[in-house]
Amino acid sequence: MSETGFFTDTTLCIGCKACEVACKQWNELPSDGFSFTGDSYDNTSELSGTTWRHVAFVEQVAIEPAAPSPIVEKWLMMSDVCKHCTHAGCQEACPTGAIAKNEFGNVYVQPDVCNGCGYCVVSCPFGVIDLVDPVDDERKFSVSNLSETRRDANQTAIQNNGGVAGKCTLCYDRQQIGETPACAKACPTESIQFGVLDELRERARTRVETLAERGVEARLYGADDIGGGIGPLNAFFLLTDRPEVYNLPVTPVLPSTRQRAGYAAAAGAAIALALAGWAIMRAR
Amino acid sequence: MNDPTYYDRPVLKAPHWGWNVVTYLLLGGLTGGLGIVAALADPKTEGGRKLRTTARRTSLVVAIANPLLLISHLGRPERFLHMLRTFKPGSPMSLGVWGLVAYSTTAAASTVIEDDRLTILQAILGAYLTGYTGVLLSATAVPLWSAGKTHIPAASVCSSLASACALAGAISSVTGNIGAVRKLDRLELVATACEAAILVHFNAAGGPRVRRVVARMAVPLALALAGNLVHVPTKHVRTRTLLSAALTLTAGYIFRHALIEEGKISTKDPHAGFRQPQ
Repeated sequence: MSETGFFTDTTLCIGCKACEVACKQWNELPSDGFSFTGDSYDNTSELSGTTWRHVAFVEQVAIEPAAPSPIVEKWLMMSDVCKHCTHAGCQEACPTGAIAKNEFGNVYVQPDVCNGCGYCVVSCPFGVIDLVDPVDDERKFSVSNLSETRRDANQTAIQNNGGVAGKCTLCYDRQQIGETPACAKACPTESIQFGVLDELRERARTRVETLAERGVEARLYGADDIGGGIGPLNAFFLLTDRPEVYNLPVTPVLPSTRQRAGYAAAAGAAIALALAGWAIMRAR
Repeated sequence: MNDPTYYDRPVLKAPHWGWNVVTYLLLGGLTGGLGIVAALADPKTEGGRKLRTTARRTSLVVAIANPLLLISHLGRPERFLHMLRTFKPGSPMSLGVWGLVAYSTTAAASTVIEDDRLTILQAILGAYLTGYTGVLLSATAVPLWSAGKTHIPAASVCSSLASACALAGAISSVTGNIGAVRKLDRLELVATACEAAILVHFNAAGGPRVRRVVARMAVPLALALAGNLVHVPTKHVRTRTLLSAALTLTAGYIFRHALIEEGKISTKDPHAGFRQPQ
């Protein structure tokens, strides 16, 4: 089975948030409540345990001295999602084996295995995965509110009362029956493209060339090895500005690569103290 | 700091860990440190043999509290056994859980059988317990923790051994094993001095976040050091040892509490996630 993924082309995004809605609907994820951030049209703010697509809105304003009000020069939009890393920090950290690579090469959290230790949350260099707080709110997680096909609480993405880690599954259940993930299906401009990775990467490179011919400077984020031991991303992006502008890390690092140095330092300290301790405790 | 940010929103997610994890970081290291103390105690002397028994028993008692603290922090505590359905040496938490299981089993066996070879195994596993929690923190994306990739593990080992000496010393002073108290005091002093040196180096290498952690550590650590350096006549040894032990354990708790809380704050920095340290 060839690996699948997302190619999110931000030059095509119109900020309609159909991906956010389709994801919430298909995966039966609870609402995050109503809040007004004042950050352009972005009231979602970030990916979370119950928000697996997030549309970022970046308004780049230029002041025209002659005009009475600022003129919007460029409006960038990007539908953010779990990167489904080749070497995923969350997967390496997970002590239960709940986070695994599935047959499509996607990073998948098995909700009935996860025990909510939270180690994946601090091990994601992209700040994607998060714990879904355990709540007693019946309206949010009651199994009776779920559709007929999802009545088994263990089949739902985040379980009936939370307490586990949640993130994009790349619609594992839809892929298993040959369907396109909900966000890509709902995207009206094909800004979100789903497919076999090799084809997607080829398409993305062609798109960068096409844009260059039209005078648009674009770059790919994560189509090739992103560095830091992470490898290529199965969900990669086409950007027209620096990654920071979209709140993406410039140099993400796979946290587990620091273990060797840590164990070496701890062993050094332990041996030094054991020798000192031997001299002190065995002295007559 | 000229990088643009996205409405000053952080890239990274904050840790969810609270008091139970902080307490485990202290007690887990304490358990392991007592295993080292048990092995270092001189079996050729009466005081050494008594200390070895004290350290073994105390370690076992503290070891029982560890899984309770770990289970209480889980989002789904009824699934704690899922940690034992797999063995992932590449995950510090998975390896740590197995290390805890191996240590507790060995500690129970060495307390019951009182076998010296088992005590050596207990000390090796104990040394692992004193250090792995530091690796567990530094092998994350949390900016403060990843900045201390060698400092935090090494300081954890020192702090854990100092705490173990303090607790073993306090109990020995109560049971009247004064010879052991004097030796433990010296080892505690060496461990605390090493910890202080590592923190001073971390402070010099790190940014303002590191300075806040070290600043919170400074007073209890200085008092613990002072408590060790003051020489008192034998009749006051017990009072002084109990006081000094309380200070050392408090310093150990504050160190871990400051690491966790300042770690949370460090993830909120909108710039911190852009360029991550190797």
